[in-house]
Formats: sequence, structure tokens, C-alpha cells
Amino acid sequence: MALRRIGVAVLAMVLVALPVWAGRVALILDVGGRGDLSFNDMAFKGTEEACADFGWEMVEIQSATSADYLPNIRNAARSRQFDLIICVGFLLADALNVVAPEFPNQKFAIIDAVVPHPNVLSIVFEEQEGSALVGALAGMLAAHYGYPYVGVVLGIEIPVLYHFEGGYRFGIDWGLRKYAEVTGKTADVGLLWVYTGTFSDIAKGKAAAEAQLEQGAVAVYNVAGPLGIGILEAVTAKLAREGREAGPPFMIGVDANQDWMGDGNKVVASMMKRVDVGCYTAIKMVHEGTFQGGLLSLGLKNKGVGISRYDDLLDFIEFGIKAGAITEADRARIIENWKAMRAAIPAWIWQAVDELEAKILSGEIAVPKPKTREEMLAVRALYPLTR
Amino acid sequence: MRRLWLGIRPLAESLLAGVIGLGGGALIMWAWGYNPWPAYRVLFQESFGNAYGLASALANATPLILTALAFAIGARAGLFIIGAEGMMYMGAMAAVATSLLRLPSGLHPLLSLVLAALAGILWGLVPALLRALRGVHEVISTIMFNWLSHFLAFYLVANVLVDPVRAEKTVSVARTARLPLLVRGTDLSLGIVVAAGCALLAYLWLWHTVSGYEVRAAGANPEAARYAGVSPRTTVLLVFALAGAFGGLAGAVETMGRPPTYAVYSGLTNIAGFGFDGIGVAMIGRNHPLGIIPAAVFYGGLQAGARLMQMWAKVPFEMVRAVQGVIVLALALPELLRIFRRLRRARRTS
Repeated sequence: MALRRIGVAVLAMVLVALPVWAGRVALILDVGGRGDLSFNDMAFKGTEEACADFGWEMVEIQSATSADYLPNIRNAARSRQFDLIICVGFLLADALNVVAPEFPNQKFAIIDAVVPHPNVLSIVFEEQEGSALVGALAGMLAAHYGYPYVGVVLGIEIPVLYHFEGGYRFGIDWGLRKYAEVTGKTADVGLLWVYTGTFSDIAKGKAAAEAQLEQGAVAVYNVAGPLGIGILEAVTAKLAREGREAGPPFMIGVDANQDWMGDGNKVVASMMKRVDVGCYTAIKMVHEGTFQGGLLSLGLKNKGVGISRYDDLLDFIEFGIKAGAITEADRARIIENWKAMRAAIPAWIWQAVDELEAKILSGEIAVPKPKTREEMLAVRALYPLTR
Repeated sequence: MRRLWLGIRPLAESLLAGVIGLGGGALIMWAWGYNPWPAYRVLFQESFGNAYGLASALANATPLILTALAFAIGARAGLFIIGAEGMMYMGAMAAVATSLLRLPSGLHPLLSLVLAALAGILWGLVPALLRALRGVHEVISTIMFNWLSHFLAFYLVANVLVDPVRAEKTVSVARTARLPLLVRGTDLSLGIVVAAGCALLAYLWLWHTVSGYEVRAAGANPEAARYAGVSPRTTVLLVFALAGAFGGLAGAVETMGRPPTYAVYSGLTNIAGFGFDGIGVAMIGRNHPLGIIPAAVFYGGLQAGARLMQMWAKVPFEMVRAVQGVIVLALALPELLRIFRRLRRARRTS
């Protein structure tokens, strides 16, 4: 084992390495890093699957501070050892913008940002579409269960997060109007929202969620990667105080399918943003020789985003077991709890979510996609959702 | 002979500590099933073995030299100023704010540096006065001021200095106010000259001026210094001012000299920690301004090589940081022991 490690290291350092792998990909992560059970772990998942399928080797590079982004990308490119360098996250965009023209023959991909160089594949997502679906669900749940608020805890205020917030606001509004249409009653439901300014401080996520739950939020949407771990703690604690195990109140998961977390009955649904699909696609393109710089947009249409369903649950229980968060023994109980949780919510709510999805897919409904602070302010003014 | 030994002893101790640290780190890696040999090879090859690595080491050393000076000057005067972190945030904020002005490129960085130093001094003023006038211990007050600075900087980044089109960061430092890169295609900026210059000045002041001598005397034996006519109040205020200036400059050189963004990120993720790392660097450099320079370059090299360690030696990131921690801790140990010995002696005599 040790001998092989030396072997790999020596091979890597000598420039003329023997081609033992079909290809090699570097996965460069931001300060959030692995273990978030969402964004970064999803990138890892997709890259790992592609490497298994195509016989590639993966090298994972975490960043200690945001001053590491530039040297990490540059070191990877400088080594000329990688067929593809994937930069995971918007925060790496400035650094990639510097490095990409320095190494015009190196292929790069970046998630969540547009870096306009011919050797960069920019992978972006239509987060507003999926966020509208979970927003509609949250709005209808609040109205149905008689909660005064729905909540959302966001990370650092970057433009990508405006897609989430904008879509969520639109969805809540749509859901409340749907509730009025179905039941003939109007519900007075407001939105509690906060940008925590971090994608790594789990305690801040917990504190923010606690505040929203105390004010009567029926669900807290996690738009801050690992902070979801803190949000779920807050939801679990709130339920324990009320002597219950299953929500409401709920968390709404993000990026990955997080429905399996919290025993399967506390995360009502997840807005899946398939970063794994993005990474997989990029590697596949390089492997098959079809790689081209430019824009790759993943939305509801090409399964890049979506609301979590039963099949996704099974897939991601595996993900949780692999991450060491749950074990094989938990599987059956989680599935059972999840089914019971979803069944307790009236069928018309789920049908309404499906209806919204179909209408977005057909183009009948366009979800706002704020890209700048100004556009975000305009969407907030359109859907203020105050009580 | 004894004189020679007194001169060599700190160096010998540090070297021994370094060997122990590397051995400890190797032991950790070995215990968890990673081969330390290729890991260390990558670590040192990529930090000091090629030009890019060396440039990275020097770039990382730049803010650390300054925060280490802030701590060391205090330590020489017998003060434990833990406040470089907070002073550094204020310096960074001042550097970003100054860049909003429109000035010619020669004058602009100069003014930014001066205002950043002033911001650091101002931030140290209240703890300094509390210590000088009321005897409030500086460890407590500077730690509290670090948190005040942390949240004030959070607020300024998110609400006042925020980039109107990219809310995840402050506005970028204006091109006219940036410290130029010394080597294209690296992170190394003119900031290293500023930092090394400050270290040299600190050395000259401490060992070749009367007030520097008085400060050292006050640190070595406060009672004797007071008896000899050295004002403890003046010493405290002077030392805090210098520490504040160095701390403020640390934040400025980092934001004005570090590509690509030249801004402070929301959450302070690109500057947080330099103040505390500086304490470790000061310990490794035995609280001597000229010892701090190689200590900071070593520490910076460790950070630069660590990036590559996970890439090529397959040592996971967390393990790299643990190994780094062991090495730094071991290197800081001789100075820590000296400080504890002195504290115990001081308690016994009083």
C-alpha cells in the first residue's frame, strides 16, 4: 500500500508520467470544502462517478482561505498533469479569469459562474426554477398548517443566490394564490429571510434558523450548503421541544437531495441542483473529445435542477451512507418515515407542485431570475411577502 | 565562549524544535497510514525548491511579518498584545476605503498605507489607554477588540464598502492604489518590501535608539525601568501605537497586493487569521524583528507547500493542517517556555 503511494507520488512529480489512467481531473473546492452533504459533496460525487465510468483519476484540492484560489488553480495548471480542472463554485471565478488565459491549452470547467475564455466550460443552473417549486410547497404548507411564516437561510450574498431567493419568493406567492383557489380562503403568510454571510459557519445557520422557527416559520429553506446541518439541528430541537419527531416545521434541502437527513421526516423536500451532473458532463465531454468552451445551462428541462422525489431519495441514501452520515441499518426506517411524512401532506399540495413544474417546463410560467442587486430589489418589491 | 553560546543558543533551540516538529508531523502521517517521505518532499520542493513556490512563500509571508512584528514589539515591552487581528481588519478596511478616492498612482498606495497604519493605531488606542490609565490587562481588552473589529468589518464589507454589482466582496482596490507585482504570474507584490522594511525599522528602533532601549528595559524588568525614570505609560502608548501601525499595514498590504480580486470577501475569508498566525510566527522568530522575517517565510512556505501536498502526495487537507500545526507548535515551544519561565520568576520575586 505504502509502496503504491510512493509510486503515485513519484509518477506525478516526474513530468513524463506513464499513462496508467485514461485521464486525470483536478477538483478545486472553495473554503466551504467537503463534508457539506450538499454543494461540494455533490461535485465530488459526480466527479467520482465519471472517474469510475471512464477510468480517470481524481485529485481533490481544498482551499484553506480564499487567498488560495489563485495559487491552487495555477499550481494545477502549471503541473500540466490534468486533462481537466474543475473549479467548484462562483468564488473561484476571479482566479480562473486570471489563470485561464495563462494556460490556453489547459481545459477548465467552472460551476456557477461564467468565465468567458475559449478553454473554459461555464456550467450554470436555473436555480430559480427549482426554488419556485419548493417555494410553492412552503407557501401552501404554511397556509395549510396555519403557520404565519416561511423561512429561508442564505449564505453569502452572491448573484447566484439571487436566483434562489427570487424563485422562492415567486413560488411562495404562487403557492398562496393556489391555496386561495383550492380552499377559497386567503392565508396571511410572510417570508423570513437572512443572508448569513458565510458558507461554512454551521453555528450561524443554526442561530438563524432558530430565530425563524421561533417566529413561526413552517419550513426553513437551506440556501447555504453546510449551514443546512445547523438548520436541521434547529428544526430537530424545535420538534423535540414540542414532543414530536416529524415536521412541521421542516427544513427544505438544497443542492443534494437532503430528504434522508434527520431520519427522513424533517426535510420535507429538497431543491436539487445537480452539480454532480455538471461535473460528470464536463469530464464526459473531455473524455469523448467533444469538450468546447462556452456555456452549459442546466435547468428543469435537462434535469439539472428539480424537486426531490422517491427515486432521488433511494439514490441519496447511498450518498449519505458513503459520506458516513448514516448506516445501512437506517435505510428502511428513513424510507418509511419519509413516505409517512409526505403522505401526511394533502395530495392537492403535491399535485399543485407538479402543476407548477409542468407550467414552467411548457413555458407558460416564467420564473424571475434576478442577476444583480437592482434586479433582486425589484423582485423583492414585486413579492414583498410581509405580514 | 559563553557569549557565543548565548548567541547561538536560540538558533540551536529553534533548529532542534524544527526537527522535533517535522518528526512529530511524520509520526502523525505514518500513524494514519500516509507516507511522510513523499509528503515532505512535495512540501519543501514546492515551497522552496522552485521559483513559483518561493514567490508564493514570500507572498504568504508578507502580512505575517507585519502581524508578527505587532506581537513581538509588545512582547519586548512585556505586553501581550493579541490585537493584531482586529487592527489588521481595520487596516484592510481603510485600504479599501482609501481606494475609493481618485489619486495619481504614485501617491495613492502611499496614502492608503498611511491611513491603514492610522486605522490600526486608532483601533489600539482604547486598549492602550485602558492599560496605561486603568491597568486593564491588554490580553482581555485586545481579544475583545478583535471581536468588535470582526463584526464592524463584517458590517462594513456587507453594507458600506460593498461592491454594488458583486455583493460577496467589497469594491476592489483601485488600480492606481495597488501594490505592483514583483514577478508576473505569481502572487508576490511590492508588499514584501514594505513588510521587510518595517522589520528592519523595528530592529533599528529597538536596538539602536534610546526609546527602543527603554522599551526593552521596561519589558525585561518593569520595576527597575521605572526606577531608572522610564515612564510606563509612555511605553505602553508607544508600543501600542507601533503594534497598531504594523497590524493595520498587514491588512493593507494583503488587500492592496494580493491578486486576483484586491478586495475583502464577505466573511473576511481572505484575511481572517493572519493576526493569530502572526503570534506563531513571532514565537518562531523568537520575538526578534530580524528573526521574524525567516520565520514568516518558513511559515508562508509551509502554507504554499501544503497546497501541493494534498495534490501530489495524496495526504488529505485536514491531515496537512494537522501536520502544519505540529510543526508550528514545536517551533513556538522554545519561546513559549522562555516566556513562562520569566512569568514564573516574576511571580516569585513579587
